[in-house]
Amino acid sequence: MTDLLGNDLNLQYELLGPEIALVITAALVLFADAFRRELKIGQSAIPAISILGLVVALLLSLLWIDENKDFARLVTIDNFTTFFRVLFIAVTVVVIIGSHEYIERRVSHLGEFYSLLLLSTVGAMLMAGARDLLTAYLAIEVMSFSLYILVSLAKSDTRSGEASLKYVLLGGVASAMLLYGLSFLYGVGGSTQYTEIAAALSDGTSTLELPLLLGLALIIAGLGFKASAVPFHMWTPDAYEGAPIPITAYLSATSKAATFALLLRWFAGPLLPAIDSWQWMISVLAVLTMVIGNLVALQQSNIKRLLAYSSIGQVGFMLMAIVTISDQTGSALLLHLSGYIITNLAVFMGVIAFYNRTGREEIVAFRGLAQTNPYLALVITAGLFSLAGMPLLAGFLTKFILFQSVVSGGYTWLVVTALLASTVSLYYYLQVIRQMYMYQPEGDASRWRLSPTGYLATGAMLVGVVWVGVYAAPFYTAADRAIAPLFT
Amino acid sequence: MTVDLAHYLAVSGIIFGIGVAIALSKRNVVAVLMGIELMLNASNLAFLAFSRFSGAFQDGTEPLAGHTFVVFVLTVAAAEAAVALAMAVLIYRRRETVDLDRISVLRW
Repeated sequence: MTDLLGNDLNLQYELLGPEIALVITAALVLFADAFRRELKIGQSAIPAISILGLVVALLLSLLWIDENKDFARLVTIDNFTTFFRVLFIAVTVVVIIGSHEYIERRVSHLGEFYSLLLLSTVGAMLMAGARDLLTAYLAIEVMSFSLYILVSLAKSDTRSGEASLKYVLLGGVASAMLLYGLSFLYGVGGSTQYTEIAAALSDGTSTLELPLLLGLALIIAGLGFKASAVPFHMWTPDAYEGAPIPITAYLSATSKAATFALLLRWFAGPLLPAIDSWQWMISVLAVLTMVIGNLVALQQSNIKRLLAYSSIGQVGFMLMAIVTISDQTGSALLLHLSGYIITNLAVFMGVIAFYNRTGREEIVAFRGLAQTNPYLALVITAGLFSLAGMPLLAGFLTKFILFQSVVSGGYTWLVVTALLASTVSLYYYLQVIRQMYMYQPEGDASRWRLSPTGYLATGAMLVGVVWVGVYAAPFYTAADRAIAPLFT
Repeated sequence: MTVDLAHYLAVSGIIFGIGVAIALSKRNVVAVLMGIELMLNASNLAFLAFSRFSGAFQDGTEPLAGHTFVVFVLTVAAAEAAVALAMAVLIYRRRETVDLDRISVLRW
């Protein structure tokens, strides 16, 4: 088949296998939930169906390792896409397993919960794979709309609806800005295809300097919102606090990683010729984000808000890699992103298990956890130390490689700022650890155990944190191979 | 005087500005949503103008990507309004207000 201009279109639907599998699973989950009584299935059948669908999608995405094809000039299937597909599927599986107990007790509308979770994963996967502005825009909206609703699903928590409303309104403003920026980019580039925009921009169209600059500023503002970079971060702490904790974990992992996948695709592809126009914007954003994120985290008393600001700080570190974009920093960014996701999920799985037992989320509530549940205290401590960048844990190695690659990209002053911000972050992570180990438990001091799924999720993440920290070679190779198609 | 690309862009810029002003200054959820709709429509106008006035359009080789974009944006805008209004209803049921200044349990 050919399009209007006579370009050949490759309509191999198997290329979109993982996405199609997930959409079918999402529909099945909704159906199964609606007819649960007629079909005589229990409540836990629904997460089971979701996990099954995710595993099928994982296998289907592994079929395309080392391929480089595109679907109808809309979606690219290369190692970069495969890397993110695997990452997003893994995150969703961990979130579903680790939060099984939490969701049954504290989330209304089970069917909608799981199917929207799957749909937002589809959106994230397409964000990583898109090669056309329209596909990218629609993928962003698929992911965001699912997340807007997911944030509002906490049962009997008044904060949940409010968080969702703020998220949806600010998100709407941000994506309208992004869209307006895209319209300028389309005007300057004359096409919505990444490859053709890149070609048009590298021709040196100096007469269109102003629209391009305006478009870039709007695009960076819109994406900065999605990545929660300062000064577009205002929704982050509210949405993180109001959302059900599994969704907070999901927001901090998938939604962030998908935005960085898109940033990498855009700034290493169509926007690379205009690097002089956007490099300073991103570096200003990076500095503001890491400084303000880490400083405001110091005065938080709620663990979800603390982790929200800590994730904002981490985004600042990751933005440095976009400033000095190259295959080296790109692969360091992918490595850091996967390390950060594993670490963050370890902390969140621990917090979910803790919340299931106590129903509290203030930092002081963690007092004496080392006595009542030493295993859980160990998981959370390992996660927090890894976020702070302690040796032998994932955070140290990935951060070290990231900082090193930015230095060799010529931005030493950025790395110096990042190191200072990183030192500040150690203080507030240690505050939580101090509560767990240095204080006596308040009230009930008897020992307690996690649910089996809780042990599975926290154990897997703990192993992951140590594994990436000690033996990161497989991850490093994967990141290297994933970034290669972007720079050829 | 012929109406050309610059005029369309000026109008779209003005509409976008009005949309931003409404979205950021109004305290009523529905009014904020209307501001967002204006911003989206300003983008639509810009897409259409860029598509219509591109060199390729005169030659008949423009794949109408801008026009296609607008159709999808209209759909997205409708979905967005549906989600946001559902949230507004959810809030209104619990608190009997959709005033953003009074919806403020969450504070940094």
